[in-house]
Amino acid sequence: MSRMFTWADAARIIVLLAVSFLILMPIAAAVLGGFKTNGELRVSPFGLPEVWHLQFYGEILGGRRFWVYLGNSFFISIMTVGLTLVLGSMCAFAFAQTRFFGSRFLFGYLLLGLMFPVAAAIMPLFLTVRDLGLLDTAWGVILPQVAFGLAFSIMFFRTFFKEMPSELFDAARVDGCSYIRFYFTFTLPLSTPILATIAVFVFVQSWNNYLLPLIMLNDREGYTWTLGAMDFRGEYAAEWNRTLAFVSATLAPAVVFFLAAQKYIVSGLTGGAVKG
Amino acid sequence: MAEVRMTNINKSFGAVEVIPDLSLTIPDGSFSVLVGPSGCGKSTLLRMIAGLEDVSAGEIHIAGEDVTGAKPSDRGIAMVFQSYALYPHMSVRQNIGFGLKLAKTPKDEINRRVGEAAEILQLGPLLDRKPRQLSGGQRQRVAIGRSIVRKPKVFLFDEPLSNLDAALRTQMRVELAELHAKLNATMIYVTHDQVEAMTMADQIVIMKDGIIQQVGRPMELYNAPQNPFVAGFIGSPRMNLIEGRIAEARKSKILGIRPEHIDVSPDAGEWEGRLRYVEHLGSDTVAYVDSEAAGRITVRLPGEVAISTGDAVFLTPRANNIHLFRADGTVERA
Ligand SMILES: Nc1ncnc2c1ncn2[C@@H]1O[C@H](COP(=O)(O)OP(=O)(O)OP(=O)(O)O)[C@@H](O)[C@H]1O
Ligand SMILES: [Mg+2]
Repeated sequence: MSRMFTWADAARIIVLLAVSFLILMPIAAAVLGGFKTNGELRVSPFGLPEVWHLQFYGEILGGRRFWVYLGNSFFISIMTVGLTLVLGSMCAFAFAQTRFFGSRFLFGYLLLGLMFPVAAAIMPLFLTVRDLGLLDTAWGVILPQVAFGLAFSIMFFRTFFKEMPSELFDAARVDGCSYIRFYFTFTLPLSTPILATIAVFVFVQSWNNYLLPLIMLNDREGYTWTLGAMDFRGEYAAEWNRTLAFVSATLAPAVVFFLAAQKYIVSGLTGGAVKG
Repeated sequence: MAEVRMTNINKSFGAVEVIPDLSLTIPDGSFSVLVGPSGCGKSTLLRMIAGLEDVSAGEIHIAGEDVTGAKPSDRGIAMVFQSYALYPHMSVRQNIGFGLKLAKTPKDEINRRVGEAAEILQLGPLLDRKPRQLSGGQRQRVAIGRSIVRKPKVFLFDEPLSNLDAALRTQMRVELAELHAKLNATMIYVTHDQVEAMTMADQIVIMKDGIIQQVGRPMELYNAPQNPFVAGFIGSPRMNLIEGRIAEARKSKILGIRPEHIDVSPDAGEWEGRLRYVEHLGSDTVAYVDSEAAGRITVRLPGEVAISTGDAVFLTPRANNIHLFRADGTVERA
């Protein structure tokens, strides 16, 4: 039976179109801007280019720099994601599945980290990283990022782990399964949705992070793309078309990562464990 | 010998004392059923036997060995949970074989024993399915299969049938009884369904608030309940427990008489009353009578009886089926 097309449907479609437009417009402008000359960009920032100049993209993709920046960003993001997932899920597992003295206090202390703005910590952070001898290395960015991402990821992991039926753990213990084994054989495989969600979140944050790399990295060879994007700003003039082409080119890896992770963001993996 | 002996067990969760002081022996090879109202500590007791919960005080011996501090997997027990607790991402085969795999059993030995268990439980065609592709009854069988492959000395069941529908429950009840006969292992079975308790048990343990009320064979509990709680718990419909003048006339606090031990007559009898409600079950007729002397009395009559609501009736308890519960805790029976 087909349904009548109602005004409510029309309104919904209009709203969705408007929202999509709001999101897509700046992206389209950035991508298209990379094909324009600087002059044209100033006159018509949003229209299609009169002449499609491929050389700006060509220069960027053909140059070594761009790939170095991209590689650095990718390394930092992947390491941040990996460490956050491993440490976060292990801590959360301990908080969710075991009872130990002071666990509530410790958890509360961790959650305090949620309220702590990175910017306020930048000075002591710089000093600490310098003292550790990690300035100008990727780890100088990775470790602080992991530290700041841990609080919220532990919170999400713990909530998810707590939802797992506790009889599952009991059954495994009767079968002779140790804590650590349970973590690897049950907790991780059954948590792919939350792992993927946190991974995307952490990746995007790290990918777009500007402040930490700015403080920690001085050597051009170690720059992330966010710092590299500044290459096209001269002392007197900014080459906006090159900047836009550069930024557009860096979107791709983040999108690919998201699509890969999205496959796992499906719930219902625990179906069949308990009554149903 | 796989006798389970608990001595002076105490269990508290923080300030809440769930089991004050409990001693109980489950004989080797018996099918013992723990019954009691919700929250009385049945699951807690079972989990302590399994080692999933520490005892606060006391000792647990299984097959003569002190296992009070032992890990669940070292106690020679297997447990079937109410929610089945199957491993959702593993096939039926892996679910059943997981414990053996952890115990580093050789591969072909695992395959052989999984095959055996599958045969006993008719799981053969399902071995490569995931739990979510099984029906409730099949999941229950897998959970039982997982427990039998490890050849435990003691099986622990925590309300394993309560998620099944009535027909399947009856069938599984028979299957469990057969399994018990075949494996000849000690089984401890928790339920709050007294029909399950009566039909399956060699020995019933009735608990209330963490305290054992009575231990005995089903018919012992039916014929000779030691206190009003047991009297009211075993038997369906419940035993009539009458307080007041009628009980006092017989020098007791409570007079108990089962619905099936009351004679009904239209013109003469001990207590006069009026029929409030009648249930025709075909095999039985259950009548609820309001009487001046005794209050509301349930009566069970065999077969189909032509009586209807509003009729005046006379009730007579059969003298040698009367239970008299004294104020000092003693019981008198004719
Ligand atoms: N982890 C726990 N922390 C605190 N109290 C608990 C815990 N587990 C059980 N209890 C309490 O212990 C008592 C006994 O619980 P238990 O689960 O053994 O009851 P049960 O007899 O199995 O009941 P049911 O028939 O409903 O399953 C309950 O009052 C419950 O609230
Ligand atoms: Mg229970």
